[in-house]
Amino acid sequence: GSIYSNSEVCESWFRFLLIESTTVSVLSFKKVIIISMEFCGGFVVGYLLFSCFAAACYGVTFSSLQKTLIVTASSPKGHDQLTVKWAFDQTFPAGTDSTYKTIRVKLCYAPLSQVDKPWRKSVDDLNKDKTCQHKIVAKPYTPSNNSFTWTIETDVPKATYFVRAYALDERQVQVGYGQNTDASKVTDLFDIRAISGRHVSLDIASVCFSVFSVVSLAVFFYMEKRKGNVTQKK
Amino acid sequence: MDISQNLEKNDRKFALPVDSEHKATEFRLFSMATPHMRAFHLSWISFFSCFVSTFAAPPLLPIIRDNLDLTATDIGNAGIAAVSGAVFARIAMGTACDLFGPRLASSSLILLTAPAVFLSAIANSPAAFLMVRFFTGFSLATFVSTQFWMSSMFSPAVVGTANGLSGGWGNLGGGATQLIMPLVYSLIHSHIGSTKFTAWRIAFFIPAVFQTLSAFAIFFLGQDMPDGNYVRLEKSGEKHKDNFSQVFYHAITNYRGWILALTYGYCFGVELTIDNIIAQYFYDRFNVNLHTAGIIAASFGLANLFSRPGGGILSDVVAKRFGMRGRLWTLWVVQMIGGFLCLLLGKVGSLTASIVVMLVFSVFVQAACGLTFGVVPFVSRRYVLSPVC
Repeated sequence: GSIYSNSEVCESWFRFLLIESTTVSVLSFKKVIIISMEFCGGFVVGYLLFSCFAAACYGVTFSSLQKTLIVTASSPKGHDQLTVKWAFDQTFPAGTDSTYKTIRVKLCYAPLSQVDKPWRKSVDDLNKDKTCQHKIVAKPYTPSNNSFTWTIETDVPKATYFVRAYALDERQVQVGYGQNTDASKVTDLFDIRAISGRHVSLDIASVCFSVFSVVSLAVFFYMEKRKGNVTQKK
Repeated sequence: MDISQNLEKNDRKFALPVDSEHKATEFRLFSMATPHMRAFHLSWISFFSCFVSTFAAPPLLPIIRDNLDLTATDIGNAGIAAVSGAVFARIAMGTACDLFGPRLASSSLILLTAPAVFLSAIANSPAAFLMVRFFTGFSLATFVSTQFWMSSMFSPAVVGTANGLSGGWGNLGGGATQLIMPLVYSLIHSHIGSTKFTAWRIAFFIPAVFQTLSAFAIFFLGQDMPDGNYVRLEKSGEKHKDNFSQVFYHAITNYRGWILALTYGYCFGVELTIDNIIAQYFYDRFNVNLHTAGIIAASFGLANLFSRPGGGILSDVVAKRFGMRGRLWTLWVVQMIGGFLCLLLGKVGSLTASIVVMLVFSVFVQAACGLTFGVVPFVSRRYVLSPVC
């Protein structure tokens, strides 16, 4: 990503407005034009809107990001912890990471766990992408010596995963990434076994209540038969 | 003189005005009078609880699908299973009502399907999930006993209203559950502190207990006919005991039943399908959270509060002027409009438009169901509902 100076943003806004106002405008663009015109002098709102739009409206695509981070993941004790390490890939030219402000590390579904599950689908537009649904950690960016040990949360489902780290700029827009697997997401995947959520007490309660229902039905039938016999005798 | 005295003696037994068969000729919604209005309230509440149980899973599917590792195919199959079990159960239920009376038939079915709901809490695989949804779905056959009971208690003039209201308010459960289950789940998850994968399991006890209690209420507080229960009436000779094969034969050879079965499949069947998928549809397509998806989904089913009864009332109103022809034509028009709106729902792409179309669609499809049951009581004088449902 590139850095815009304040005046450059304002300038590009006016250029944008000029183009848009001469073409057919959608209502949302009109709203943006009105607000920006009012505030361009102290153009805070316009700037924020622009950054919102940059992330939300225009949508950063995954294919536009470079793999500038090296990420590794391991489970030292093999139980419920995951250690993630990440660092800037020095083979990229210096200054590539000048916009990086935050690193957001996420747990992502491997293709194997996405089969027939459209709610985990990978989509190029990062706003619609559902590959990475579990946040591991978010930390300020440093080029090296980053490590985090995460205790796997109870709501993580049983699946095959990999770890991906997104580098975000000051506008919280993705500008780079790294993952512990390859581009086709087949190497270095790991499985997480989930909790079942069942408890012995639940099992017992379930069965007891079920038996109670059936038994009470039998009692009802017996009571009804007796009533019938009483009437017949009468 | 003697005749009028006899009529007075019989009328005094009942809180509502009755006809010669002791069926109520008026429908008073806010009364709980035995036996007519009490039967109404017992039947719609128990039917409501069955709907709540059958559709308890859909609003919690985003959690359940992660816990049980369900695929989209598994979810689809479970949804189909939930509503298909009821097809055969309803046929059997019609016969059971004819033979044992709606009170015993419905309380039996509810108590036999309650275990399926309790055992949902311990489901651990896609196969188990499908099984519990399948058996829970059998409880939707209480619809038959509801309609049968209303037709035993209310005269032709008001049977459309009674059927529409009891059916509609029962179907309401499909909407209410989309609100109830996420609420119960979040209460358990945040206040009791259970993990997500335990909280949904505990949540299932609520509809299960509700269902069981409603069966108890029917057994102890209800009665089959205005004059009493089948068992007592049969033994004392006041009610003729029907023969199963005769009854069934007459039911399946009546062509009207089959035609109504087809049209009903395309209004009620559509309603059930939407109940199954709507929460997930909004959750996945428009990225709303579980709560919001539940609220939107609920509004579909909650329209049943007035739309299905509205269909029933409309049927009665039209019948006063145009008779059976009016009932049939109105049914056709309303169902056609519902069909077009269903097509439209699939086409719209924005959240607001989807919600608006869904709401209008829900009114029409549910009214069509209500209108169908304005016609059903007249299919046969001896009145067997089995094939239609």
